[in-house]
Amino acid sequence: MRLWKIPDQVIRLAVLIVIALAVLIVVRLRFIPDSFGEIGHYRTDALKEQAALTLHYAGMQACIECHDDIGEMKAASYHRNLSCEGCHGPAFKHVDDPGEFSPAVAAGRIMCVRCHGYLASRPTGFPQIIEAIHNPVEPCTACHDPHDPTPPEVPEDCSACHAEIARTKAVSHHWSLSCETCHEASPEHRQSPRSFLPKKPTERAFCGQCHGNGSSSRESAPQIDLNEHGGRYLCWQCHYPHHPEGR
Amino acid sequence: MSELLEHLQANLQQVTGYIYPNEIELHWSLLIVIYPYVTGLVAGAFILASLVEVFKVKEVASTYRLALLTALAFLIAAPLPLLAHLGHPERSFQIFLTPHLRSAMAMFGFVYMWYLMLVLLMEIWFEYRADLVRWSNERRGVMKLVYWALSLGSRDLSEKAVRFDRKAVYAITLVGIPSAFLLHGYVGFIFGSIKANPWWSSVLMPIVFLFSAIVSGIALVLLLHYVTTMFRRVKPDMACFNKLASFLMYALIIDLSLETLDFIHRMYESEESIEILAQLVVTKLFISLTIVQLLLGTIVPIVLLAIGRFSRIPEEVKRVVFFIAALLVQVGIFSTRWNVVIGGQLFSKSLRGLTVFKMQLGGIEGLFMGIALLILPFVLLWILIKILPPWDQQEAS
Repeated sequence: MRLWKIPDQVIRLAVLIVIALAVLIVVRLRFIPDSFGEIGHYRTDALKEQAALTLHYAGMQACIECHDDIGEMKAASYHRNLSCEGCHGPAFKHVDDPGEFSPAVAAGRIMCVRCHGYLASRPTGFPQIIEAIHNPVEPCTACHDPHDPTPPEVPEDCSACHAEIARTKAVSHHWSLSCETCHEASPEHRQSPRSFLPKKPTERAFCGQCHGNGSSSRESAPQIDLNEHGGRYLCWQCHYPHHPEGR
Repeated sequence: MSELLEHLQANLQQVTGYIYPNEIELHWSLLIVIYPYVTGLVAGAFILASLVEVFKVKEVASTYRLALLTALAFLIAAPLPLLAHLGHPERSFQIFLTPHLRSAMAMFGFVYMWYLMLVLLMEIWFEYRADLVRWSNERRGVMKLVYWALSLGSRDLSEKAVRFDRKAVYAITLVGIPSAFLLHGYVGFIFGSIKANPWWSSVLMPIVFLFSAIVSGIALVLLLHYVTTMFRRVKPDMACFNKLASFLMYALIIDLSLETLDFIHRMYESEESIEILAQLVVTKLFISLTIVQLLLGTIVPIVLLAIGRFSRIPEEVKRVVFFIAALLVQVGIFSTRWNVVIGGQLFSKSLRGLTVFKMQLGGIEGLFMGIALLILPFVLLWILIKILPPWDQQEAS
């Protein structure tokens, strides 16, 4: 005698579920491509299809095989991580038949400004220019070799590299101060900016030379009692020295 | 190409501050707003149905079957906005054939299948089985065949069999409540787990989604109950309306509290994103968040429901007040989805600028498609009600 009889409803649902699973298995067998899932959650054949697409880019290695002198120069420069075709455009046809096709040469100023035009979000220290005031009209290549972009003559002015700071300072109350008033930069900084960092003030007393009570600065410079003002905070924790009146 | 540039140009004129180039145009548009909205209605309607079956709330028993069918109609339509958004709806069946087991996005397929196949369809089948058998005996022609097929050939109307149906419905609802929580909690999780987006990234997101789903589901069933009662010309069941309105009010209050908690939490934390989010809220989202979601979609309905529940106004007026409150709730919850999906893409990852959303009219992501996808569940519901009338049994009893 059976202790518990499976209800009729359950049997009917179970049959339906078994049929649904069987249909799923048949559909899977019929519709899933043979190469699916062999090495990942995709068709392995898709790789062959991708590989069969027309090539446009040759890659830096192919360029350097012939242009090894330029490759060496670039490898030692700030542009060492850039790919050749980033500036020259797709060059596979040129590698295939150098006589027939020549890659484009980026002329003018448009290409360089894409990376070196001033943008607030670019990191401090990244060379940026304001195109309208940095040797206007002159093509970039007149002074810079893109394969070794450090200019042949070191910049005379800090703003050549620190344009964003120069621009901010120019409209602030500190506009008349030269950079050297607060920063001491060794001559090597111009050659290897990141190895020889300029010095910055470290104490409140430095700002106090102009802004402390009784200092001999111009009348228009605000003066405060260094012992009372701002507690133990350093001046630049509240005031941005390149734009001290800004909030 | 020129059309695309023109389109971007129109957006660019309204961009403020600094944004990255790939942020000018929104990638998740109207269809992705509709997806959580429709899914929420499913979960909400089911949770309302479970009040009858599990928590034995007798007053809303007359909405039980309607709520189940509503959940089913909206569940059938729920994945369509996603499939249309993917761009190749005709290929969408492949997603179901080769499911990915480790993708959070692909998990929707499993959650959906579980909920549709093992919860909703089974519950509806057990609930209607005896009626299906009866209808297949009574009807003639094609409908006889349809009911026979729907009953899976079952003929057993014995007391024992019907008792088993009831037990099965109870058991499935017990499993169904956490499943409904899972379904909409999952949709909240998909947004809440995106840690790169400060507007979305919040552990409260699944909970907030869930409660807004319950709110929208109860409001939808209230609206449908009102409309169907009117068209069927039967005496309105005031106890049912009152109970639905009460539940709607409580759910709204909880939903508002959770949203406020989230808001306070964000304000107190004041992470680096707070400034851009504050800008977002007071500029681009001011109308849809403050006016529509908070004022029209939450506070006004709470006041209306409280007036309806606790004041001595005529029953006809009371029902209209509930109807207006439920309608406003729908608009409010749609705004909630809009503010999450669209709002989360309006500010730049640089936290320095805002873009703008321009909705298309035509096309697969356009306004007309959106309207069609919102009407579709009602058409499905109408068909379901025609085939599986939710009222026969109660009227007979």
